[in-house]
Amino acid sequence: MAGERASLRRNDAGAQRRIEAWTGDYAPLPGVLDEFLDPAGAPRPHWMKLLSALARLEPSEIEQRFAAADRRIREMGISYRVHGEARERSWPLSHMPLLVSETDWNEIRAGIEQRVDLLERILSDVYGPAKLIAEGALPAAAIAGSPDFVRAMRGVKPPGGRWIRLYAADIGRGPDGRWWVLGDRAQAPSGAGYALENRLVLSRAFAGLYRDMNVERLAPFFRDFRTGLAQAALRSEPRICLLTPGAWSETYFEQAYLARYLGMLLVEGEDLVMSEGRLHVRTIAGLKRADVIWRRIDADWCDPLELNAASQLGVPGMLEAIRRGEVVVANMPGAGLIESRALLAFLPALARRVLGEDLRLPNIATWWCGQEQERKLVLDQFDEMTISGAFSETVPGLGGARDVLGSDLGAAERKALISAIHERGMDFAGQEVVRLSTTPVWSGGALAPRPFSLRVYAAATPDGWRVMPGGFCRVSGRSDVRAVNMGEGAQSADAWVIGEKPVEISTLLPTADNVKIVRLLGNLPSRAADNLFWFGRYLERAEATLRLVRTLCGRIMDADMPAHGGRQSIERLQRILAAWGAAPPGADELRGFSIAAALRSEEAYGSALSIARAARRAASVIRERLSQDAWQLVGRLETRLTAEEFGGASEPEIIERAEAALHTIAALSGLVNENMNRVAGWNFLDMGRRIERGINTCRFARQFADRDAHAEQLDVLLDLIDSQITYRARYIVGVAPAPVRDMALLDPYNPRSVGFQVARLDEHLGALPVLREDGMLETPRRIATKLRADLAIEDADQLDTQKILGFEQRLMGLAEAIAARYFLDGGQAAQASRPEGLA
Amino acid sequence: MIYDIRHVTTYRYDSHVASARCTVRLLPRAQDGQRVIDSGLEVSPQPAEKLESLDYFNNRIAVLRIAAAHRELRVAAMARVEVTRREPPAPVLTPAWEQVRRDALSFPSLEGMSPVNGLYPSRLTPLYAPATRYAEKIFTPGRPVLEGAVELMTRIKADFKYDPSATGVSTPLADAFEKRGGVCQDFAHIMIAALRGLGLPALYVSGYIRTIPPPGKPRLEGADASHAWVTIWCGPEFGWRDLDPTNAIMVGDDHIVVAIGRDYADVSPLDGIIFASGRQKLSVSVDVIPVTDMR
Repeated sequence: MAGERASLRRNDAGAQRRIEAWTGDYAPLPGVLDEFLDPAGAPRPHWMKLLSALARLEPSEIEQRFAAADRRIREMGISYRVHGEARERSWPLSHMPLLVSETDWNEIRAGIEQRVDLLERILSDVYGPAKLIAEGALPAAAIAGSPDFVRAMRGVKPPGGRWIRLYAADIGRGPDGRWWVLGDRAQAPSGAGYALENRLVLSRAFAGLYRDMNVERLAPFFRDFRTGLAQAALRSEPRICLLTPGAWSETYFEQAYLARYLGMLLVEGEDLVMSEGRLHVRTIAGLKRADVIWRRIDADWCDPLELNAASQLGVPGMLEAIRRGEVVVANMPGAGLIESRALLAFLPALARRVLGEDLRLPNIATWWCGQEQERKLVLDQFDEMTISGAFSETVPGLGGARDVLGSDLGAAERKALISAIHERGMDFAGQEVVRLSTTPVWSGGALAPRPFSLRVYAAATPDGWRVMPGGFCRVSGRSDVRAVNMGEGAQSADAWVIGEKPVEISTLLPTADNVKIVRLLGNLPSRAADNLFWFGRYLERAEATLRLVRTLCGRIMDADMPAHGGRQSIERLQRILAAWGAAPPGADELRGFSIAAALRSEEAYGSALSIARAARRAASVIRERLSQDAWQLVGRLETRLTAEEFGGASEPEIIERAEAALHTIAALSGLVNENMNRVAGWNFLDMGRRIERGINTCRFARQFADRDAHAEQLDVLLDLIDSQITYRARYIVGVAPAPVRDMALLDPYNPRSVGFQVARLDEHLGALPVLREDGMLETPRRIATKLRADLAIEDADQLDTQKILGFEQRLMGLAEAIAARYFLDGGQAAQASRPEGLA
Repeated sequence: MIYDIRHVTTYRYDSHVASARCTVRLLPRAQDGQRVIDSGLEVSPQPAEKLESLDYFNNRIAVLRIAAAHRELRVAAMARVEVTRREPPAPVLTPAWEQVRRDALSFPSLEGMSPVNGLYPSRLTPLYAPATRYAEKIFTPGRPVLEGAVELMTRIKADFKYDPSATGVSTPLADAFEKRGGVCQDFAHIMIAALRGLGLPALYVSGYIRTIPPPGKPRLEGADASHAWVTIWCGPEFGWRDLDPTNAIMVGDDHIVVAIGRDYADVSPLDGIIFASGRQKLSVSVDVIPVTDMR
């Protein structure tokens, strides 16, 4: 960062003025601790270090760096889907990190290590001998109420020996300066990937600053987490899968990111199958054993056979595989029960009983109303308490509120809540009100205090628990010190643990002596193959649609066109587009046909825009397999066709648009061909393109190269298959049916001909793994090889529409055979209907 | 009383099913007052894997994996069961319901038949305020728990109409409650929700009831049905007591228990995942034959 260094030399007076301007109006909220100013109003030293370094940069440079960070967030597609929304949103990152001093951090780390150790012991007791229950230290009813008390897991020993492998705690700092635990997370804690991503963005934007501040690195934590998972498995080189609920999940980006970063297979429930007591991944080379599952789906959805029968996300039989000790699951189904507020109430006493020591990090004082004395206490101090669900995310009977302050309730609500607590106290918990400390955010060129909570993580490693130095910080958009969530205006922030000495640098790079050279990255899961194939088909279909649109515009604009033949070509082009669904529903294929709509209609499922979106959807499911550049181009293809970027609807403008989009596809193809590793994934992407191109070319040839085709129509075909130049170079006599047909269908040297596509398909299929042990060709290869031979010996003079249709149908048959052989079972898994006829 | 039970479930599919995996809960459980003399499953096509075990509630489950392609799946469960239940206690002697609520909350066990498992809302029996209000009128302060429960059962029998057309297997509890109609499953769910609303532990029981043909008519083959009722915990001394709200009777030797759970979802006789695309048709036939009658 040469620019950063240069500006460091500038004079200090300017820097001093800048700090003044940023912090002059900074006013901590009354009664709340602030991370930047101490209670006497003096700035804390580690913050001054950050601000002084920042102030040595020119204001314009600071803004540039902030803008660079924002841009990177957008471009990386760091996004977050609010539950129920179709589109992902960008993740707002605060430009100011949260700074945590080494002294504070040591306190947090020791507290978290102790806490997760305690929770692990509680889980193994509750699901095992239940001594704490029998001895009265923990009421059975405080466990049984949790929806994450997975009864089917009682008496099961967790394979690999642990219930928890990744734990998270939300912590905040109280007015007394101590850090408090607000809640525990062990179901499937999210946010660690965002923390990592935030770190990459901010440390790149302020590289020099980051280096000088001695910030603790995150990479070793992730490396150790992965090692912990691998060592828990039964085999030495285990296959580790990240089980995602799918691209519709709120945190799908994070899951895909972590799978790529940690070298895990990203799988959905459908990809896994239980067979002979073990879990397997369905791959194009058959079933491959899955040794470790890092689940990001809630326990209840894990196994429709034993848990929620309606689940389509899980794997039938997963719990049985766990019981047999054949699969390590992180975290074990049932670990989520430690998240309940009811349990919080018992942790201080359990720490003393189980560990013989007090909690090092206190949790926020909690009373479970399932006990008579505690219920009475909560009701007596109702107005000073936060009331929340003992086991649920919301307060029972209050229509969705997460928690409620007794004193905030109206008379009627208050009466109803008190009577509900009398009736079923076990559903409620009372908690003391915690006022969280504030940390500076950058707002309009100055700093402003905002409440925050910090999610910290601990992982099980071969050497015991390891705590990530840093975390995922959520900063409230408002000054209300009680509520921090990712609602309106909230931001995330990177958390920097500031060491006193320079830190050791480490990345996920392993040491040289323990790496074995591998050229094939595991086996391609069937679902990934399926999506790559369709990604290829959609790209090719988008390209063909764009070519149709461009050719159609050209014909309409061409005033010199012979009236008769030209009209016919225009009609046929429109008919193909309409048949492909590129015309909005209801529009007549000839009258009122809108070329602009074929390009950018939101309603028409076959418009270039809709196809580009379908390509993006297919790509998003295999995002961890695409490079960042490729993913960006997929996004750009879509934005090029959306209305915002679209000018008018005149033919020249449409041609310009279509060409810009075609260039984006060309760039994407180039990237795929030049940069994508030639493992099975590439084969499927390319096969998708080849199949689609072959089918489309047959279709164009049937329309424009039948026996009595005019020169004008043959010319259209040459446009559509992008072979004008080759044709003119080869035949000086002008267009004639047989040479054009040869070029479109048979010519093995023309990369646009059907023959060329089939030859490549045949080669791809030959390169893929074979399941048959008898040496016979598998069905897709058999079809492709025969079709290749038939095309090779075909004579262009003998080709007619019927024959071309025959080739087209054989290509479609080939696509089906590929799907049946390599992709997931043709039929969807369905729930058997339940018997009716009860008395 | 000794019974022979035959419960045959048949799925017929429009298209071939490549494979299937299912959990079967059709073999009657052994418990106090009920002895299983003999029992077994017949499945066709022949399962590739079959694993029998006891679940959390001590119900007998069998997990089947069928690897052969098929268009019909037939699961027949056969059992011979001897039922000799003790007389139920006099309701008035059972503890006050508030005491039972307290005892359940502090009961120090997480085993399947611990009352704590009957306290909380479950998948098919959420808490439902109108049902709670319905029970509240009956459970006056200090009333013996079984006395209240018997009256609740009698009320349900009187207020709700037995009407198989009113509900289906997946009708939510609230619908059945509002319609004041349904079948045994609905009545059991409603009664459970009402009891839990007051903090009283209640569980769902699936099983059979002996049907006595009208005088002079022969017993009809396969005409019996699965049945469901409720069990309520009456304190550590009296334990669980079964009540049948469909017939408004305390459960005696005419009932045969198959499985117990928090609601129907825990005891569903057959849960399965099939890999196929077509539609399916399901038929069930049940015979409950008192062996002593046949002699």
